Amino acid sequence: MAGSAEVLARVSELIGDLKPDDVALLKGLHRLQHEFGYIPKDAIPLLAAQFNTTPAIIFGTIDFYSELRQKPPAENVVSWCSGPACLLKGSGGIRRALEATLGCAMGEASADGKYELQLVQCDGTCQLAPLIRSEGRYIGPLSSSEAIKFARRLKGETEVPVPPAEEGDAAAAEASE
Amino acid sequence: MAAYEALREAADAAWAPFEKPSRTLIRVNLGTCSLVVGAQETLDALRASVQAGELEADVMATGCSGLCHAEPLVEVTQPGGPSVLYGQLTADRVPALVERIASRVLAHEMALAVAADEPMGDVPPLGSLPFMRGQVRRLMANCGVTDPLEIDHYLARGGYEGLNKALRMEPEQVVAEMLESGLWGRGGAGFPTGRKWEFLRTSERHPKYIICNADEGDPGAFVNRNIMESDPHLLLEGVIIGGFASDADRAFIYIRDEYPVPVVRMEKAIEDAYAKGLAGKDILGSGFDFEVEVVRGAGSYVCGDETGLLSSLEDRRGMPKLKPPFPAESGALGQPSNINNVESYANASLILRHGSAWWASAGTEENRGTKMFSLSGKVERVGVLEVPLGTLTRQVVVEMGGGVPEGRTLKAVQSGGPLSGVLPGSDVDIPLEPGPYRERGTLLGAGGLVLLDDSDCIVDLCIYFQWFAEDESCGRCTTCFAGTRRALEILKRIASGRGREADLELLKLLGRIAANANCFHGQGAPTVIASTFRYFEDELMEHVRHKRCPAKRCAGLVRYEVLHQSERLAEAAAICPVGAVVEEGGAYRIDQESCVKCDACREQAPYAIGLVDEFGV
Repeated sequence: MAGSAEVLARVSELIGDLKPDDVALLKGLHRLQHEFGYIPKDAIPLLAAQFNTTPAIIFGTIDFYSELRQKPPAENVVSWCSGPACLLKGSGGIRRALEATLGCAMGEASADGKYELQLVQCDGTCQLAPLIRSEGRYIGPLSSSEAIKFARRLKGETEVPVPPAEEGDAAAAEASE
Repeated sequence: MAAYEALREAADAAWAPFEKPSRTLIRVNLGTCSLVVGAQETLDALRASVQAGELEADVMATGCSGLCHAEPLVEVTQPGGPSVLYGQLTADRVPALVERIASRVLAHEMALAVAADEPMGDVPPLGSLPFMRGQVRRLMANCGVTDPLEIDHYLARGGYEGLNKALRMEPEQVVAEMLESGLWGRGGAGFPTGRKWEFLRTSERHPKYIICNADEGDPGAFVNRNIMESDPHLLLEGVIIGGFASDADRAFIYIRDEYPVPVVRMEKAIEDAYAKGLAGKDILGSGFDFEVEVVRGAGSYVCGDETGLLSSLEDRRGMPKLKPPFPAESGALGQPSNINNVESYANASLILRHGSAWWASAGTEENRGTKMFSLSGKVERVGVLEVPLGTLTRQVVVEMGGGVPEGRTLKAVQSGGPLSGVLPGSDVDIPLEPGPYRERGTLLGAGGLVLLDDSDCIVDLCIYFQWFAEDESCGRCTTCFAGTRRALEILKRIASGRGREADLELLKLLGRIAANANCFHGQGAPTVIASTFRYFEDELMEHVRHKRCPAKRCAGLVRYEVLHQSERLAEAAAICPVGAVVEEGGAYRIDQESCVKCDACREQAPYAIGLVDEFGV
């Protein structure tokens, strides 16, 4: 949708009142991200004109900040906290578990564009460490197993049924070898 | 000034029902830490009970009292009686509480503490809780008490009295009061706040800007967040006082984007201050004009560096600048500016309200006042607390925080964020003051204290901090953007079992050249590595020489193995996201090629699956 005349008109509307040298670019970028979910590339020339600067400066600014998105978010974004409290309590395993289950690396989306893993910074909700966030919900403290179950539910996979173990099953198998 | 007296009178009337309630008053802590565990649902459930006529009570939202580990926290005050606090009061527990309140029976089994000097039955006094014992709550006096969205609550409890006093003084007298107090900046650098104000005051070029650095980016630090969302006017008042004292025109409160709740509450505070004539034109009839606004950051750690923040305000990349010129000469938009941390401004409100002598009565001779700290990591009680500077580290992390989990030993305390180092667990008897920390090669910093126990790996922490420093480097200085990258590569190599002796010298070399970076981001990045050489060299050497991670945290140095066949292994196989728990002829094994080392299988079958390195289990 980005690039359509409608989008450009909306961008102009959103940033029309902002002035250069008035501490207003971040405000403008937040407005655009709030409206579109990301900053459409085609907004860059309009921003440059509005702020009396070059598209390169605008792009460089957008690119500099980790909370500003340059691509639309996937349908389901799972945020993984990178903070120290989470790290110490096992977020590394959770990260590997989510990457494997959702089929995407941190900061990327799955091949079908449905799931995205996003790295977020610590916001001090450390009593829930290790935690992830999804749809505005904080989930924690989380084990790797719980992270996998969460990701499977998100993907609509039913729980993999575990065959009921027969008594002495494993031991018998071991003995028969 | 008459204007202030009138505001105060109206505010006193508005606050009276909360000060001395005539019917049951229920407070619900509503801060970031409580919202994420369902405090809004608790509040809604309580309000629904009142509406349904199950309970006759007033229900109010407050900020966060700092007991993050006990959220959602609810405080119930009966007329004429002391308040009782209930912890972990999620919405599902509301009906039980409502029933007890309605029948006027103390819900002992749910109660955390009573806000009185004596216990009530078997419910202990609040001040006797380990987390509260030793706290001196000045900055946090309103946290969990008032509604942060109500300016009248702040006013009625002495708010804006400091501003009112300041406006009757000469700006230089205000600065003198600040200097007299001995307050140094709480953001980490520790420069005397009054001197900064004096620099800006004597600068003649207008417009002049006051900037509040609320870009609390140190992971594990959340004290500024607590002030902004629990008592936003305490910060705002200090900002306006700073504006008056330094003859400034406009203020920017720069809040990190990761803090949505503080953004909303600060904006509301500013709006209300304007409406009451406490900000904007002719403040309290004094003739002083001062504009204040919130600027939302967009996710950049170096914007917490004061010159990085200035660049960010200038509509471009937040790259730290070269100094000089110093901000007082040429700051935001090339104009004279002054930048202080949230806690510094909040303290200024108290210094002007109560006087510098009162303020300086807490703390030590060199380090006066109180300081807020946030506890996280391997600590029993996560939360925010306030103690006099000079309090022993042990008292805060072990006694108040409850220390590391049972059966573990305290390995280290990480203070001051990723550009700082660690304090070994054996040194926690030093006071919380900048000097003793600096002597041990680390920084006290802005208030974050993260605990590590003996199951944590120091190399793992170094990798995390180097990754953070590299990721957040602005890219200006080679010793920073390339130095942190090299250090990260070397550390990852060590953690994967390919470390070599020469790596140690390389790490030390990178540490030395880092001093050449322009800003503290590059200069401070190797501090944690220096701490490791100083305190945990054996552990580092174990990784390098013997390819062994004593804590078994470095994924490249361990593998998962089936040690015993067990029925639980079927569940381990079912949970594995990559099918690495393989069954062959009734026996399970781990396929090392596909295993991602997420630990889920071991969680399912802790007896059957073990973490193994070259030396065995």
